[in-house]
Amino acid sequence: MAETTVDIIETDEGQSSKSIQRFLTFVSDNITFGVSTDYVIEIISSYMICTLPMVPDYIKGIINLRGQTIPIIDIRLRMGKMPQDYTDATCIIILEIKDISVGIVVDSVTQVLDIDLDRISPIPTQNQQELTSSMISREDGSVILFLDCEELISQ
Amino acid sequence: MDASMESLLETYLFETNSLLDGLDELLINAEKIGDFSEDDVNEIFRSMHTIKGSSAMLEFNGLMEIAHHIEDLFFYIRENGIDSLDQTHKSELFNLMFKSTDKLRSEIEKVENNEPLETNIDSFVGEINGLLKKISGESSDADDTTNSSSAETSADGTKSAAIPVSAGDVPYFIHIYFEDGCGMENLRAFMIVNALQERELNFTYYPDDIDSNPDSAEKIIEDGFYIGFHTEDELGKGCTVVSNAQNIRSYETVQNQEASAPEESEPTEKAASVEKNTASPAASAPAKGKSDAAPAKKKEVAPHGAVKQDLISVNLSKLDALMALVGEIVITESMVTSSPDLQGLNLDNFNKSARQLRKLTDDLQDIAMSLRMVSVSGVFQKMNRIVRDMKQNLNRDVRLTIIGENTEVDKTIVDGIGDPLMHIVRNAIDHGIEENVEDRIAAGKDPQGEVVLSATHTGSEVIISVSDDGRGMDTDAILAKAARNGILTKPESDYSQKEILMLLMTPGFSTNTEVTEYSGRGVGLDVVKKNVEAIGGVVTITSELGKGSCTTLKIPLTLAIADGMEISVGKSIFTVPISNIRQSFKATEEDIVLDPAGHEMIRCMDAFYPIVRAHELYNIPDACTKIDDGILMWVDASDKSYCLFVDKLIGEHQVVVKPLPPYLQQFHIKDSGISGCTILGDGNISIILDIAHVYEAARGIF
Repeated sequence: MAETTVDIIETDEGQSSKSIQRFLTFVSDNITFGVSTDYVIEIISSYMICTLPMVPDYIKGIINLRGQTIPIIDIRLRMGKMPQDYTDATCIIILEIKDISVGIVVDSVTQVLDIDLDRISPIPTQNQQELTSSMISREDGSVILFLDCEELISQ
Repeated sequence: MDASMESLLETYLFETNSLLDGLDELLINAEKIGDFSEDDVNEIFRSMHTIKGSSAMLEFNGLMEIAHHIEDLFFYIRENGIDSLDQTHKSELFNLMFKSTDKLRSEIEKVENNEPLETNIDSFVGEINGLLKKISGESSDADDTTNSSSAETSADGTKSAAIPVSAGDVPYFIHIYFEDGCGMENLRAFMIVNALQERELNFTYYPDDIDSNPDSAEKIIEDGFYIGFHTEDELGKGCTVVSNAQNIRSYETVQNQEASAPEESEPTEKAASVEKNTASPAASAPAKGKSDAAPAKKKEVAPHGAVKQDLISVNLSKLDALMALVGEIVITESMVTSSPDLQGLNLDNFNKSARQLRKLTDDLQDIAMSLRMVSVSGVFQKMNRIVRDMKQNLNRDVRLTIIGENTEVDKTIVDGIGDPLMHIVRNAIDHGIEENVEDRIAAGKDPQGEVVLSATHTGSEVIISVSDDGRGMDTDAILAKAARNGILTKPESDYSQKEILMLLMTPGFSTNTEVTEYSGRGVGLDVVKKNVEAIGGVVTITSELGKGSCTTLKIPLTLAIADGMEISVGKSIFTVPISNIRQSFKATEEDIVLDPAGHEMIRCMDAFYPIVRAHELYNIPDACTKIDDGILMWVDASDKSYCLFVDKLIGEHQVVVKPLPPYLQQFHIKDSGISGCTILGDGNISIILDIAHVYEAARGIF
């Protein structure tokens, strides 16, 4: 998390800042995802997850965050990827979506970006994936997929 | 709606609801005696007056109109004495009053839910007026006509006399005209007077009978409303109050030159004497009315002031937040004092302070808990109303006896028992009490049926029971009905009395073949059971044919804090509520008996109980699998009794129960036997098991 930096994707001069939004990017299974900072409460790296019985495998359990109990979702398993052992880089991003707090386990957190919303394009339907609705390709050729937070909590 | 209006509305709702609750209670008690006492009449009059005033202020016209007409009705009754009504009128009056409070309540509910209010209340108002006409028509004799005519003359007399009097006395005036057609001018004036009184200003006003004489409204429309002040300073303060009032078309300040000169003491004396004069020529009736009103108003004010000092109403969410915080403090306290960093150190001073801290946090917790405790009387009083209505509609003579209504329980529990109790009380009257009085007399019982509603404390539980002295339950009939409905799970002859009564609480069971307005839709007792279980309680039914039945609810005092036993299974830690544990014991492989399907059972106290292995149920790795290594815990919850196999007992703790995060509700986590979680001293989470559901979950996987 130390390498978390702010890096502005170049925007046209004079364009109103209304369409600029901040996104936190993280990596899960070698794919870079972005999540609007409006949802992000905090990032924690030390945790004790209490496992819950009889829930889908992607629900890792609940954690105690200063007296609040927060359910933890492993984003890898949620997207049907193979599980991976947690390392030092693994961390939990606590999101608050429509008053519901959840934590997502990600491989690593990279940076916070200012992204022009006008440049975000939808994902081609034939490649439609669960939980992601849109994407952006950056100058250096890398691609960021945006996490659809509301879909994450809906069932 | 801005914030101040919002809080005004909140106060209005709170106040009106408490007034209506009070009225209901009063009506029930009055009806029991079959008569209104003078105090009752005054009380109803005052309540309606307050509701009228505050509804008018918030411009809920329908509410205001209803209250206004009831007030008129009771004004008449107060003037003429309740004894002028005969019995049929009284019972009509009771019915009308119950209807009116219901009507008001339903309108208030609409206000609460932000729904549009009913605008067409004419028929209802007509009903009230009809009764008023009926009672006034019959008792109208010479006396009445003189009354009204003398009242008129007195009004006229005051008008002509009071203006010069008040004008001569006081140097400064505010002269107010209300908006055309705003209605209830006398009340609006009265609100201003109230506001001025709150400022503790010294003033006089004309017309001075605005609170008791509805005709004064017209006078105010014609001549305006005068408020007199003795000093300029007070005039200024008065002006600010008036300028903040609503629906005022115009107001002006008037200075009275003649009056500013004379001494203070004399004019007041003069005013008093003149006022007496104006009152004395009037017939006795209005004067009596006025003098009645005056002490009545004082009475109302005095307790009000006291209540304001002793009680405050607090938003429940704030209390919840406080409870959560206190819970955190309790946990943090034990986290600090049992910190592993302190182990092996000999810290006398620290230990001393830690003990002190523990004592304080315990006290804090007790106080915080007691804040949420409310007496069950509110819920119990509502039952009075239900019994009363059913008595009328089913034509059964029943009395409700209430015992221990001051028993206190957690607020959420009080809210949770309302509906179940209502069901049970309805059942008791509809199914329990004999339909014909002859049947009761033949059985040697009091012709009047009795339903006893009682609440008592026992340790950490409160026991609420509803018992009737009716015909009792016919177990054979229940069994036959259950067989017909196909809800039996074993041969009829195998059912014990207790089990048969339990059948009553199975979904889709109702012993009454006829559906009445009150019960018999087959959604009764199973819903009761579900609701009570939702707040952690247990329902049991006992009955003796011919002698009556008794439904008992055993409910924990609070949901927020529970005594729990920490147990470990593999690496997981669970908490089992102490109230569910009967016994914990070691067993060996030889003690286990297998049933034909391969389910494990063990013998405790001459009966066999199934064994539920927690590690199998929850699929926990690294747990003890041999019976010899772990420990068996004999638990029971409502009608289920079984042994839970776990690794180890860790110890007993008081735990703060936290609900599971809302996100997890969609996975039906409650059905897997988890009722909540708690945070342990070391910051880890322990899952609280719901013993009844654990068994059901276990049965699912067998």
